[in-house]
Amino acid sequence: MAAPTARARSSIRLERRSEAIAAYALIAVPMILFLVLNIGSIFYALFISLWKWNVRSGPVDFKGLENYGTLLGDPIFLRAIQNSVYYTLVWVPLTMVIGLSLAVIVNQKIRGRTFFRAAFYFPAIASSAAITILWIFIVSPDGLFNTVRGAMGLNPLFELFGFGPNKNWIGDQDTALNSVIILNAWTTSGTFMLFYLASLQSIGNQVYEAAAIDGATAWQTFRHVTLPLLRPGHYFVATVAVIGALQLFDQAAIAGGIAGDPNNALMTMVLYLYNAAFSRFDFGYAAAVGIALFVVIFGATLVQRRLFGQAPSW
Amino acid sequence: MIGRAATSNRKGGAVAAELPVGDRGAIWRRRIAYAILIGYALLMFVPFAWSVITSFKTLPDSVRLTIIPQPFTLGGWEYAFTNLTPPLPRLFFNSAIIAVVVTITNLVFGSMAGYAFARLRFRGREVLFLIVLATLMIPDQLRLIPVYLLLNFLGLTKGVLQYAGVMLILAVSGTSIFLLRQYFLSIPREIEEAARMDGAGFFRTFWQVMLPLAGPALAAVAILQFQGTWNGYFWPLIILQDQDQYTLPVGLSQFRLAGGMGTNWPPLMATVVMATIPILILYLFFQRYFVEGIAASGVKG
Repeated sequence: MAAPTARARSSIRLERRSEAIAAYALIAVPMILFLVLNIGSIFYALFISLWKWNVRSGPVDFKGLENYGTLLGDPIFLRAIQNSVYYTLVWVPLTMVIGLSLAVIVNQKIRGRTFFRAAFYFPAIASSAAITILWIFIVSPDGLFNTVRGAMGLNPLFELFGFGPNKNWIGDQDTALNSVIILNAWTTSGTFMLFYLASLQSIGNQVYEAAAIDGATAWQTFRHVTLPLLRPGHYFVATVAVIGALQLFDQAAIAGGIAGDPNNALMTMVLYLYNAAFSRFDFGYAAAVGIALFVVIFGATLVQRRLFGQAPSW
Repeated sequence: MIGRAATSNRKGGAVAAELPVGDRGAIWRRRIAYAILIGYALLMFVPFAWSVITSFKTLPDSVRLTIIPQPFTLGGWEYAFTNLTPPLPRLFFNSAIIAVVVTITNLVFGSMAGYAFARLRFRGREVLFLIVLATLMIPDQLRLIPVYLLLNFLGLTKGVLQYAGVMLILAVSGTSIFLLRQYFLSIPREIEEAARMDGAGFFRTFWQVMLPLAGPALAAVAILQFQGTWNGYFWPLIILQDQDQYTLPVGLSQFRLAGGMGTNWPPLMATVVMATIPILILYLFFQRYFVEGIAASGVKG
């Protein structure tokens, strides 16, 4: 093979250079935005969190780690953590179970499966604001939920739990957070169904044929074949779900306002941050809350990694 | 597939013939299963149907359990169109302009960057792509304060420029770049090499050869972004301080807190319906892309 001439080599180099220039031009806008609004933001947030910071004039007093200390000593922040953790521990498993059940059902060769799949995903298309307002209406004292259970004669059953006929579900502090949990289980189970469907369809037919030959019942097949093979799916859905749950904001803020009413029942970690920034205008403190929140989310992700083992290859 | 695999073994037919009772049981099981499925599907639709019905009711009638409004009235819609501040058409316009612009910028910048990351060789490609992926993991709340201060400094939190503020934050998402890059990677190299042989430059290859092939991925990104932006609450709430700039979700949440409006259900439900209809129409026509976009990205919380 003849060695490439100097001329050919320099033309290759030129070609390479024009390729790189084209690439930088193509990625320039997003990369600048990401470097400023994402990566730069983290460092800026760390910096701000060390100060007493005024919205207009910027840094006022250097406070070191004082903002973080105040944070850990504030009972309302501890309440926000408690609410967010409770929400996560109840909402995530509940929605995963519903999503998985729906996925298993629409994954079978039943008539109308396309319709059912579309129907189960339907509540997920609406905006959080619209659906929360609609939900507040439905579970209000005179709302659809209370009138329907009254019409069905179910009120004695609810009475056993101490719920009156005109219970204000989202407005009473003992049921507010659970109302939001049910709302979000309803809207998000369809999304989890789609995640699980993708995972179910990656399981080959042979394992099911083998299970059938061994005479396994439908439940045994599900319990001992499908469920273990869905492990990467569980990991993925659980990670996405926990991250989303710890960031609960829209529904809590719309139902409970900036203070997470009633009586802090809907105060979540993100709502607490929003409150610190736009109700107390304490930006340094709010930045510290943001960092703390990031640490919590990151920690939760690591814990899940331990629980579910190695992340799958995707 | 699971239930079928378990029940459709070859002996199934013979067993059923010997045991007709079991067969009847299976039929009943199937009927019950369908009843549950249909019941659950109804649960998905009823609240939305209820919002449509309520929007045509009077306020006293809105808390009664009647499916046909008594009397049927457009009062709630009229109220929403004229008495809300800002009125419903204004909210709709604000939502539309932000969602349309953000969708277009995501398609433009997402496809350009997606193509570069999929096909072009340049120094720093791996590191820069890692940054793209990292943006998917940084929670919005962490950057709330710095981003707000920056936009405030740039004057993008005042007047009409508030639109620009929201658009700038959402202009291009890591998800768009990632999805389009994956799609470009799946297109065979021979196709663009032929174009390059014919003397087309990188930009022309991208524009005339690759982009037309990326139709399905562009559609999925467009729908994902339009839906996400139309429905978005967090950033519009932070940046849009003037009522005139409110989007539908922000307007809805403010009405709820405004004195007296919080339980004026007919106009509230009219606004809920208007906030949902555009996405509903998209869903009816492009359901496939919703499903594919969600399954492929999975990153959006």
